[in-house]
Amino acid sequence: MPARRNHVDPRVDAALERVRGRASTLRPSVRRLAAFADVHACPTAAVAFAARVDTNRVLTGTTLEMPFGQSPFAIGRGVAFEALLRRHGHAELRRVLTEGLGVDFSQAGIENLREGYQPNTTGLKLRASVTRSRMAEIIASPAEPVVLDGAVLRADVGGLPAFFEADEMAIGVGGEIVVGENKSWPVVDGRPTDEDALGSALDQAATYVLLGRRTLDDAGVDPDRVSSNAVLVTPRNTGLTAVLHRQNVDGRVRRIERLLSAVPHVADIATSVPADVTFDVAADTSLPEQERVDAFAEVSDRLGRVYEPASCLSSCGFAWACRQCAFATGDPALSGGVVARALPGVVSLSRVAELSHGAPASAVEAPVAGPLARAGRLYDEAVPVPAPRRRRPA
Amino acid sequence: MSTAMEAMFAGRIHQDGHALRRTTLRHTNLTDPALGICLWRLGGERFRAAAVAWGPIGGPYKLAVAGEPRNRDLYFSALLPFAADLCKRIRRVAATQVARQRGRHTDYLPADALQIVVPNRTTVAALGLLGRYLAYLSDRGGVAPDPALVEAGKHLRFYARHARVPGQALLVPLDRLLAEHWATLLSPFEQANLAAVDAQIDPPRGVHAFDSGFAAEASARIGPEPTEDIDRITDELLARFNEARGGATEPATIGPLIAPIEAHYRRLVDPVWALMARVVDRERALPAAPSVPRRFEVDREAFGRRVDWVTGGGRYRTTDTPRQAAMTLRRLEEPLARYEAEKAIEDPAAMVPYLLDGEAVRGVVASLNDQYRVRFRVKAVRRAIIALDTDDPVILPLGKKLWWTATAHDHHWEVQDVTANGAGSRITLMLYAAPTPARLPGVGDRITFSVLHTSSDGYRLPPPQNPPWTHTSAAPPAPPEPIDAGDGDPPAAAVDGATLPDPGVYA
Repeated sequence: MPARRNHVDPRVDAALERVRGRASTLRPSVRRLAAFADVHACPTAAVAFAARVDTNRVLTGTTLEMPFGQSPFAIGRGVAFEALLRRHGHAELRRVLTEGLGVDFSQAGIENLREGYQPNTTGLKLRASVTRSRMAEIIASPAEPVVLDGAVLRADVGGLPAFFEADEMAIGVGGEIVVGENKSWPVVDGRPTDEDALGSALDQAATYVLLGRRTLDDAGVDPDRVSSNAVLVTPRNTGLTAVLHRQNVDGRVRRIERLLSAVPHVADIATSVPADVTFDVAADTSLPEQERVDAFAEVSDRLGRVYEPASCLSSCGFAWACRQCAFATGDPALSGGVVARALPGVVSLSRVAELSHGAPASAVEAPVAGPLARAGRLYDEAVPVPAPRRRRPA
Repeated sequence: MSTAMEAMFAGRIHQDGHALRRTTLRHTNLTDPALGICLWRLGGERFRAAAVAWGPIGGPYKLAVAGEPRNRDLYFSALLPFAADLCKRIRRVAATQVARQRGRHTDYLPADALQIVVPNRTTVAALGLLGRYLAYLSDRGGVAPDPALVEAGKHLRFYARHARVPGQALLVPLDRLLAEHWATLLSPFEQANLAAVDAQIDPPRGVHAFDSGFAAEASARIGPEPTEDIDRITDELLARFNEARGGATEPATIGPLIAPIEAHYRRLVDPVWALMARVVDRERALPAAPSVPRRFEVDREAFGRRVDWVTGGGRYRTTDTPRQAAMTLRRLEEPLARYEAEKAIEDPAAMVPYLLDGEAVRGVVASLNDQYRVRFRVKAVRRAIIALDTDDPVILPLGKKLWWTATAHDHHWEVQDVTANGAGSRITLMLYAAPTPARLPGVGDRITFSVLHTSSDGYRLPPPQNPPWTHTSAAPPAPPEPIDAGDGDPPAAAVDGATLPDPGVYA
């Protein structure tokens, strides 16, 4: 387990405050971490994540704001499903855990940590403390299983404490702790109706497994008491009747562990990010759009940018802005990492076009110039009459 | 995918400002007119089509709007005209049959098949789920659901499953059609927005494809999954509708109340409908590849078999047995190989990636010897040897099997020797069959050899009736069952994300 640094230097705090400027902040959550997992290679995204910047809201009100909003019906369905699991003393949750885990949960103690605690950092700290205590009790092997609804796990992310809320944590299942995640998308004929959503849900569960193991390790308990088989609770078929699925998430746990260690430390950010780099102007809704967009482009130019369409567009609030920057500079990354990696030494897409028309190559371009020229020549032979060309406006 | 080809496309599109064709031919059958279907769901509700538009592509559409699609009575009542019309069209098309002679065997196929065109692959998945829901419905209060709904469900399920077959044209998602035929600056993720792809292909004069695509992406809504702004409006309209109907579901009460919701969805469908017609028109203008009729014949055969089975009251498993899964995989792999081969063999633009990746060679026949004798086992047989001079240097292992594109259905040639020849290479190839005029190119011809062929790889035995224990599940797959239990429950109330501390929890 990596060593953790909890103490935050006031100078670091000030530096993070400066990086954020007027940008909204966002508490790290398992979904935020999963989103960051997709873009962790990007320096701009990494700085924004470590500084707790809500990337989805920096460019609010501009044409480059990502449309990540959710349908009120989709949210309503999720709320209704969770309410169903908790109704009548968690009767539905007890049923589904009993049927799915093969352990009688009808008399299990269910502790709802979502109620009775303040909805702030103090409340989260208290909930994390209760979670830690209950998990440590596994040594005593309680006679009845225990379920923590809304367990909170603490982790250090980039040197700052963060709290992660698990949907449920069942303690005492064959001497193990099982973490669970509730999702409101249905499963039909044993198959998820949304495979991408299944992957995200398992990533979230894997994060809880990892953090649960770290918590046990800190308490001097064997971390492997947290089961590798996470639980997903989803509706079955068209109604909301819950059904439980178990899935091994060991591979995902290792990935999340690597990811957490890749988050830049806030102290490093404070020292390495130039003093005048800030999301302040980009997030200032009182300014004209172009000024904000230019300010963002400057920040990402200085920090560095790794644009990868497949992951950025589904996970990062900066994606459209970065895509715009990539287009403006003719960055080969505009077409994805596969193309960009195939063009070492070629600075722009305009140059790619020239090489494909047979332009002489420099020494550094030579390895890719041949295949590009050949591709262009073969294509021109195959499609002899090109569509009329239009000039791009200046 | 050849990365050099993709890079060349990206560079030229960025420079020229418009998309480029990946093919010179159309590789998908497009009937005239196909049946278009455009679907909008309620957010998060995978089985609830809030609006279904259908009709001939290029013509007017009909619109089915339930008002409250989470109410079973209202939902089925709205879907019924669509279901009945779909069943009628399918039965009508399947009724006319033609004889097909294969050896001494004669079978009968539908003369045509109903082609369905949808905006994107997400709609294919949505139709599949809708089909699964409707295909096996339980009685409610002793009242059986309308048979047209059940039959339409079975047809939709078949169409969605058949859409996995490479090169099929029974259910055509237009985003896939365009992605196969055009290169754009859009990644596969972005290509799900049909309007963005179309805008890159045909940008307004003076506007770069990127800008045009971005404008379309930001403004166009394609469905079936609604965006937040759409469902905010739907939520308001639905609340008013539910309040006004007061629990009533009779058409006489509902009819006058549903107009605002219908108008809302009509505003969403109109631009998508026009876009679908424009895309189909543009692609139809391209000449069809020679193999398109053959593939559509396979589609017609599957269509005819399915219609016969469904109209005869047949049922299909909803979960494959291991044996069925293995056979399905083979049924998908073989058409993929053949489709890729036919595309490249018939279309010079589609052959370019194979040439770049070293899986094809092109050159001029420098010499031909059709009297070459080679000893096979005990007797000497006549074979043909050619020398092919390529423009570019090639690296090929000796003994590599290649097919001349003109005889890709026939016997292969084998590489005998490769030597440097000026800027290119000289390849010596031997035909592995008796040389006949049809199998031989002429000296001086510019021809292409590739690893692609359209002949069968040989007869394959069917998998054993009883799979080995390694492929047997503990319990046999469940028989088809209704999945509609709970669809009569009261609908969940919509929740505004702005009122929650962390709405992302429900993403």
